[in-house]
Amino acid sequence: MAGLPKRIIKETERLVADPAPGITAAPHEDNLRYFDVTIQGPEGSPFSSGVFNLELFLPEEYPMAPPKVRFLTKIYHPNIDKLGRICLDILKDKWSPALQIRTVLLSVQALLSAPNPDDPLATDVAKHYKENEKDAQRVSREWTEKYASG
Amino acid sequence: MSDEALVPFFAGSDDEDTTMSTVEPTEHNPIVGEKRLFLPGDSDEDDGELVQRGSSVDIDAMDIADIPRASSIGASSMSECISISSDSEEEAPPAPKIKQKYPPTKKRRLSTSSVLPSDKIKFPIFLGEFLVPNAWSAISGSGYVKTNDMVKIEREVDHSNYADPDAKRKTKAYGKKKTNGSGMKQVSLASMLKSQPTKAFKRKTSDIIVRLVTDRGVEFGRLPQEVAWWASKLIDLGVVEMRGKMTDCPSKLTVGANLIVSIDVYLLASAFKPMDLTGDEDRPVMFSEGLETLGEKSLRERKSAVLKLFNVIGLRPQAGANVDRETSPREIQEEALAALQGTQVNQQKVKKHIEIVGDGEEIEVEDGENLSKSDLDIIYKRAQHHDQSMGEMEPADSFTLTLRGYQKQALFWMDSLESGKMNAREANSIHPLWSSYAFPPKPDGQFIDLTKDEKLFYLNPYSGEMSLKFPRSERNCKGVGLGKTIMISALIQSNLGIDESNENVSISKQRQLKLNNAFRSSKGRKNKLPSPPSATLIVAPTALIDQWGEELERSSKPGTFKVIVWHGQNRSDLNTVLEDEDEDEGEEGHTKPIKVIITSYGTLASEHAKAEKSSSPVFDVIWLRAVLDESHQCRSRNSKTAKAVYALKARRRWAVTGTPIVNKLEDLYSLLKFLDFKPWADFSFFNSFISLPFLARDPKGIEVVQVILESILLRREKNMLDSEGNKIVDLPPKEIIVENLEFTPMERKIYDSIYNSAKKNFDQLSAKGLLSKKYTHILAMLMRLRRACLHPNLVFTANDERALSPVGDGIVNVNEMIKKFAEDEDQSSVFAQAVIADLDDQAEVPSECPVCLDVMESPMIVPECLHRCCKDCITTYIATCEMKGEETKCPSCSRGPIKQSDLVEVIRPLPNSQDSHPDVILRRNDLPSSTKLTALVRDLHRIHATDTAFRAVIFSQFTSFLDLIETAMERENFDHYRYDGTLDVKKRHAVITAFKEESKKPKVLCISLKAGGVGLNLTVANHVFMMDCWFNSATENQAIDRVHRLGQSKTVYVKHYIVDNTIEGRILKIQKRKTALVKEAFRGSGKAKDGKETPDSIENLKIMFGES
Repeated sequence: MAGLPKRIIKETERLVADPAPGITAAPHEDNLRYFDVTIQGPEGSPFSSGVFNLELFLPEEYPMAPPKVRFLTKIYHPNIDKLGRICLDILKDKWSPALQIRTVLLSVQALLSAPNPDDPLATDVAKHYKENEKDAQRVSREWTEKYASG
Repeated sequence: MSDEALVPFFAGSDDEDTTMSTVEPTEHNPIVGEKRLFLPGDSDEDDGELVQRGSSVDIDAMDIADIPRASSIGASSMSECISISSDSEEEAPPAPKIKQKYPPTKKRRLSTSSVLPSDKIKFPIFLGEFLVPNAWSAISGSGYVKTNDMVKIEREVDHSNYADPDAKRKTKAYGKKKTNGSGMKQVSLASMLKSQPTKAFKRKTSDIIVRLVTDRGVEFGRLPQEVAWWASKLIDLGVVEMRGKMTDCPSKLTVGANLIVSIDVYLLASAFKPMDLTGDEDRPVMFSEGLETLGEKSLRERKSAVLKLFNVIGLRPQAGANVDRETSPREIQEEALAALQGTQVNQQKVKKHIEIVGDGEEIEVEDGENLSKSDLDIIYKRAQHHDQSMGEMEPADSFTLTLRGYQKQALFWMDSLESGKMNAREANSIHPLWSSYAFPPKPDGQFIDLTKDEKLFYLNPYSGEMSLKFPRSERNCKGVGLGKTIMISALIQSNLGIDESNENVSISKQRQLKLNNAFRSSKGRKNKLPSPPSATLIVAPTALIDQWGEELERSSKPGTFKVIVWHGQNRSDLNTVLEDEDEDEGEEGHTKPIKVIITSYGTLASEHAKAEKSSSPVFDVIWLRAVLDESHQCRSRNSKTAKAVYALKARRRWAVTGTPIVNKLEDLYSLLKFLDFKPWADFSFFNSFISLPFLARDPKGIEVVQVILESILLRREKNMLDSEGNKIVDLPPKEIIVENLEFTPMERKIYDSIYNSAKKNFDQLSAKGLLSKKYTHILAMLMRLRRACLHPNLVFTANDERALSPVGDGIVNVNEMIKKFAEDEDQSSVFAQAVIADLDDQAEVPSECPVCLDVMESPMIVPECLHRCCKDCITTYIATCEMKGEETKCPSCSRGPIKQSDLVEVIRPLPNSQDSHPDVILRRNDLPSSTKLTALVRDLHRIHATDTAFRAVIFSQFTSFLDLIETAMERENFDHYRYDGTLDVKKRHAVITAFKEESKKPKVLCISLKAGGVGLNLTVANHVFMMDCWFNSATENQAIDRVHRLGQSKTVYVKHYIVDNTIEGRILKIQKRKTALVKEAFRGSGKAKDGKETPDSIENLKIMFGES
């Protein structure tokens, strides 16, 4: 891999030196564009007790193109599908090069607090959330305990 | 043979023989009555006759047209000519005898060199012998001939004194004109004595029958065709006489029986007659162009026949051209043979296209043989061969500049030519077109042995011409390369032509300049005039008229010259001006100013058009000297300019140019024509011996050109060495840096997309075999790619959104922007103020670019939200968005859409800038940069840092790119000037003057390569930027030489920008490959003269002229 852009180095340094609360991100030793990420479930959300593992990859075009982010831990969330893919506008068309890894991960954390079933990725989960939000949150909590508290 | 056959012959005379007077049969009788010369028993008496004949023949007074050669054409076809006659004791004598009877025709151009020293050598003279093993008998019967009989070799059987039953019919033919198919204007006596079958003149090809005749005049056999084709020509043309001896034959002949004949060849006096080549000089070019004229054909046939003969009899040259080059005559001959035998010479399909010559005159030119630069090097090579050791000459006192050594040499050379001294270059070497041959001893000693005193004769293997006189090289004038203007100025001052009144000098001058007839008559008039012509006419391109005037003044003491620019509307009356001068001369004697008239090609051409109706003074005046500057402007001989130039009357003619041959060899012809350098000034001659061989890829063509140029061309190149091995010009060094640049990602994408579509297009065309048809289309694609290398803007169409048209200097008022920000968005202007404040003291608290997270480099402001980014970051981002078809937004706030051209760049003035009032300049980003433009600006700033008053010259082929460069220069605050083809003379002059003016600020001159690549003198600058590359490196070097030339005192830095992995790299490769190939092909072209020319080099030539 060609030399790492200065921006990525800078971001990595800052993530390590000044991590965002509830979030860790560490690059792989063999691939500095690939990050192991953990996000703590936000307080007051059904995910609050869990710690979720994610992976983040910075493509060649970064920062002109958004990073690719995916949940590795199973999660019951209307905007995250079975494969862990995330439906988030800044990871798609609303991406801006002024955004960074940190801002992306904070956005993902915020998504856990505020699921948006109107723009679903996992349609069955979204349906569940729309029809019976309480029950859906219960499932989310169960999944969190089951998969995200190890 | 029938009577009917005779009638159409008479009636059908096609008038080509009108110069031929009818010869009455009675005239022939005495000749016919003479004894044969070569019967063994008669030889002693014959010698006397031969001597007499040789000396008395008034050959030199006759035109070439007198050479008898037509008998072959008129010859009867063989079935009709078998005549049996046993009673004719006497034979028609060979050709030379007959010739005495011709009425002498008017003397035409008679070169002194062609006068025969006929008193020294007796003709016919033995030349050699050869054996014909496969002659054949044409009759049956015995008693005609036996072994060791002498046999006459004739083209025609002399029927005149036959006593056969046909005699009566044959006499009808006496005295009649005869026509022949090949258009030759002469007819031999023998053919007149014969009747002609209709067939003979219907056929366009002449017959080649050569007959074997017994000493009693009976034709009994023929030479085989492979001998006859050339033997017939030689006999017809009066070059040789052949005498045979029967070596072996059957005792009883049958038709077709094999005969072995040994043939002695004797050279006739008429072989040395000058060849007339002027006949069809004025032929209409409309339809005969590219075709060989009849005159050319006969020349070529003679040439090949002579060479074949020499080959057969094993005669080898002793010195001169083609020595040790056995292949060469053979090749010439083979080529000619092919043509003779009916496979017509390459009927080259010429593509016509319009070319602009001179001052915008458009003419059609043939796109025949184009020459590469490397061919030209070879062509010039020889001309430069001996130049190192040439003498020098000091210029006249009135000349104020100091001449360099090589310039003094050149002056010496030029002066020698004008004065008619021939010793400028060693002139005693044999004319390079000629070879010398020794007459071989005749083996049987019956004949006078001339070889005791080693008689030599000379053959021109290129023309087939022969001469007994030593063919001395002729010198004429032309050429020069460095400091041309100065040289001419020095010459004008140094050689005033005052001694013109000395008749002897005039005569030698006449010869040297080869004045034509028209000119000679005007010379006669001149003697009646009070003074000889002393004015010099300089014809120069419009752009250089002023420069000439300035240079002339600069190089001379005040008052030396009286320079009159005769151009444009206010042309004064030339006659008045010139007469004035004559009066001045009378009054002031020696101190009279030298009259110099400067005019342009355009003026001359229009005057010439006028002169056809009324007379124009410029063509009536006899100039002492006519000088064509950049004479390649009249290279197309059919252009109006060229015709006007030919019409000038001048005592001395000079053509100065850096490129005597621009594209093709024919360019040279026009110059030779102007110089009136005979015989090459004749187009048919030029065509036969230069153009056609060259087209046939015969290296001889180039060799002949080399020879011509050696005699008349003085060429100087900067890297030439003088006699001591020093460079003739000691110019400051020149550093050429080729900088390879990388495209920005956006440029790369644009380039690649254009490239891919072009490639696809090309492959499709290639697959369909349409490459040649769509040639211009492909060229257009290439052009687009080359533009893409320069700047993306150059490939977008005007309505393309990405095509930005920069307006003004793009400077944005800060306060207005803040005001607008506040109004539009109803936001507090506090933020805006903060931003602007931040701009000012950014040096202390560096802002970080939100994209690269680095210190902002040349920050750009998004005007709507005042967010900032690095220039690179935001432009790349916007380009990426455009590529993906996404909306462009401010990276920080996603406000959009934003446009590249709306962005405002923050410019901090240069640290060493003089004016310091604006701390910060805000400028609209409507001039997108490109890799090359950025590099240029960067380099200019770099130069500026060390040299605050530098001068740089920037070349590009694309004026649209020059526009962009100019805008960039404007923004970078460099004084900039523009020179291109759209400027008229005055403006051009003004631009150059302004650029040269002293200043403490740097100046940049943007020049279009085509308009300013030649002629200009820009030594005030010492930085050259080549923004793009040209297919021909010579053009680039010419452009660089505007700066790196005499008068340059500083090191010249040349920067050549090339973008990696683009078509530019390939163009460079083509340049290099061409050079390499040519170097290889001509490695040791000097050696070739020593006979070491390998087949390799010929092979390479083929490659080079072929598909390479």
